[in-house]
Amino acid sequence: MFFYYLDLAWRSIKKTPLLSLLMVFAISIGISTTITTLNVYQLMSVNPAGERSDKLIAVQLWSQGKDAWKEFNAQVTYQDAFNLRKSDLPVRQTAMFVTGLAIQTEDADFSPLLETVRVTDSDFFGMFSVPFLYGGAWDKSVDTEAAYQVVINEEINKQLFSGENSVGKTLFLDSKPYQVVGVIKTWNPSPQYYDVTTGAFKDSTQLFIPFSLAPIEEFQSWGNNQSWKRESMDTYSDRLNSEMHWIQFWAEVTDDKQRDEYAQWLTRYVEQQQLLGRFDSPEAGAQLSNVAQWLDLNEVVPEDNKILVGLSALFLLVCLVNMLGLLLAKFLKRAPEVGVRRAIGASRNQIFAQHMVEVGLIGFCGGVLGLIWAWGSLSMLSARFDLEESLTHLDPSMWIIAPTIAICAALIAGIYPAWRICSTNPSVHLKSQ
Amino acid sequence: MLHIKPIINTLMRSKSGPILLLIQIILSVAIVANASFIIGERLALMDRESGTVEEEVFDFRLYAFDSSIDIESQSLRDMRAIRELPGVIDATTTSMVPLSGGGWSSGYTIGSSEKTAKDTESAAIYYGDDHMVNTFGVDLIEGRNFYETEILTGSPDLATHAIVSKAFAKATWGDESAIGQIMYAGDWGDKPLQVIGVVDKLQGAWVNSSYLDNSVILNVRLVNVFTKVLVRAEVGTLAQLKEAIPAVLHKDQPNRVIEGFTLISEHRKRVYRNHELMATVLSMMVILLLLITSLGLAGMVMFNIERRTKQIGTRRALGAKRRDIISLFLVENYIICIVGGIIGGLVAVQLGQQLMTLYSLPKLELIYPIVTIAGLMVLTTIAVILPARKAASISPATATRSV
Repeated sequence: MFFYYLDLAWRSIKKTPLLSLLMVFAISIGISTTITTLNVYQLMSVNPAGERSDKLIAVQLWSQGKDAWKEFNAQVTYQDAFNLRKSDLPVRQTAMFVTGLAIQTEDADFSPLLETVRVTDSDFFGMFSVPFLYGGAWDKSVDTEAAYQVVINEEINKQLFSGENSVGKTLFLDSKPYQVVGVIKTWNPSPQYYDVTTGAFKDSTQLFIPFSLAPIEEFQSWGNNQSWKRESMDTYSDRLNSEMHWIQFWAEVTDDKQRDEYAQWLTRYVEQQQLLGRFDSPEAGAQLSNVAQWLDLNEVVPEDNKILVGLSALFLLVCLVNMLGLLLAKFLKRAPEVGVRRAIGASRNQIFAQHMVEVGLIGFCGGVLGLIWAWGSLSMLSARFDLEESLTHLDPSMWIIAPTIAICAALIAGIYPAWRICSTNPSVHLKSQ
Repeated sequence: MLHIKPIINTLMRSKSGPILLLIQIILSVAIVANASFIIGERLALMDRESGTVEEEVFDFRLYAFDSSIDIESQSLRDMRAIRELPGVIDATTTSMVPLSGGGWSSGYTIGSSEKTAKDTESAAIYYGDDHMVNTFGVDLIEGRNFYETEILTGSPDLATHAIVSKAFAKATWGDESAIGQIMYAGDWGDKPLQVIGVVDKLQGAWVNSSYLDNSVILNVRLVNVFTKVLVRAEVGTLAQLKEAIPAVLHKDQPNRVIEGFTLISEHRKRVYRNHELMATVLSMMVILLLLITSLGLAGMVMFNIERRTKQIGTRRALGAKRRDIISLFLVENYIICIVGGIIGGLVAVQLGQQLMTLYSLPKLELIYPIVTIAGLMVLTTIAVILPARKAASISPATATRSV
């Protein structure tokens, strides 16, 4: 029966090609704007940590004074990060920041590259599930006893060592020799949840070196450095002892119980620091966020995008109302034909079903066309604005979402016209024939 | 004369069609008014000028990773070499670049005594030498530039003199002249800076900040392994200078990374990218929405004509002229448009309120819904007139044919 109705629907569409085309066009435009904005929204609101989201905890401390910032800063001070690293409560933990260093190899002809480098702890790789191609992270002892070791990514490995297993080889960062201990596979979580301070959608860093080297090598910070206090910072040790927020801190816990214990430990830490004269604001304390909360807190999905999704949903509504009007016109025009069918013995339900199948078919066509529009507009936008690929590729789920929304929307719009047509009295139309 | 009453009666008799049109117009007005308001707001943001000659000024990064380099003397030699290159108008080292999205900013302390001390608004801080004003191409409207002898070399704390932007001078000292004023980089009395000049306009790096137009130029040539260099050169010479500058600097001292040549106009494009993207997507939405609405309307009118063939024929037979028929459809349309427009305008204002409370958008200006309604009237007139002319050509004879 379904296929018979489909055949009828196709004939009916062919009979009024202009009106049908107009409806397909209307719904496809509505779908394409919705899908375009929804696609970007979905890609931005992904939680790349997946099931580990609840175990990874971003740590924030309200260490600023009374009249300073009115909220938790996304980063902590070096002295706090240094102290937090001593806690043995979390399973794993890491402090980190981003710097930039010049890379050279033993090959004198190799012209130096300036690359961003993440200064972090050995736990970083395990916590954020970084996949290794060769070797692994540096030993945990390096986190306390600094050593010149480096983890590089596949791309740099290709550039420097033509893709071979380079573990054990040497490269130079700012003219200092570092030993390669691991090569990671291309790894680029989007959004870059472990560090959103300088933009959540960009390529991740290519090199990693031990955090314990920071006080020795005095790496500059390439991230945000935020001060609430006027302090002179002539030397690097001034910087390390300052109240400036510039270090990101993450901890990993096994369950909520351990998270609570850790929170208590942090409260005690804050109290202990208060005895030393720091944390003098009444709001002083610690705040823990898992990955999902962290992405939310940092407003990783920009406001503009939410506005666009809202407006495009309204847009789709307009298209539906539009379609409803056109459907009503189309169906009522066919009333005499329906009258004949009713008189021959078709039940109201059958008439209703027949028309809903037709509406569904129009919705499906609109959905597929809309998907093509959406694909076109996404590639046009990404070419015009040089957007990150991670934000503009059409998510595979859209292949299901788009036709589903289209068909559902069309069916909703079709209910009233289909009901109108099947509830008319056949005799009225038969008479006028 | 326009026979409004019978038209309203007809509209009331077949409710569903007109009601659907009404809803469509209400929603269209609400969406289009708010979308075009946001577009207008973004375009106005993007229209602001940085004060610099954006097509001529570019920056690049210089990273001297070799610890054996004496950066202070090296930097002096570098700048001299760059200024001598053909096409280069002037060059300076800098702490930051306008519209680049990154840099330094701070508020200052002012006041005649420690008791009356207060903080100024935040301002972008450009550390540079006596070539900076010329390199930016900003207009010095009051006071003077730094003398070469006033330039200090080393850390930011050395600064003694300041050139400020007009916006910052106005926000800080009001109508009083800024020249000769003292402001403190630390607490009151600590690290005094004397204002010696005012430039007409110089923006900072953060286009979404409230203090974009506040800038100060301080008389320090920074010494750092990591240096930003600003160069002003004739338009079109960047491509060859991109090669010439590293060549000449590497000849002097090879152990440096030189990269990131970017015109301020390119920084502008990047920093306003999201605004431009928003404006583009919304414009597309507005155009498509208007297209859909007018096509839908045209479709509905066409259908109405077919249904009312007899009615039209009868009217024509009774003496109605062609333009009477056209005006029937037009008046019908205008009634729906005006009612829908008024309700739509109210919904638009409500939607604007919601957006304002939920997001950081300013309040919707009333002119936007009004213009939208007017625009919609014009557009729907076109959408109605085309099929209505077909209706007007219905022969009176058709009215009697099938009875």
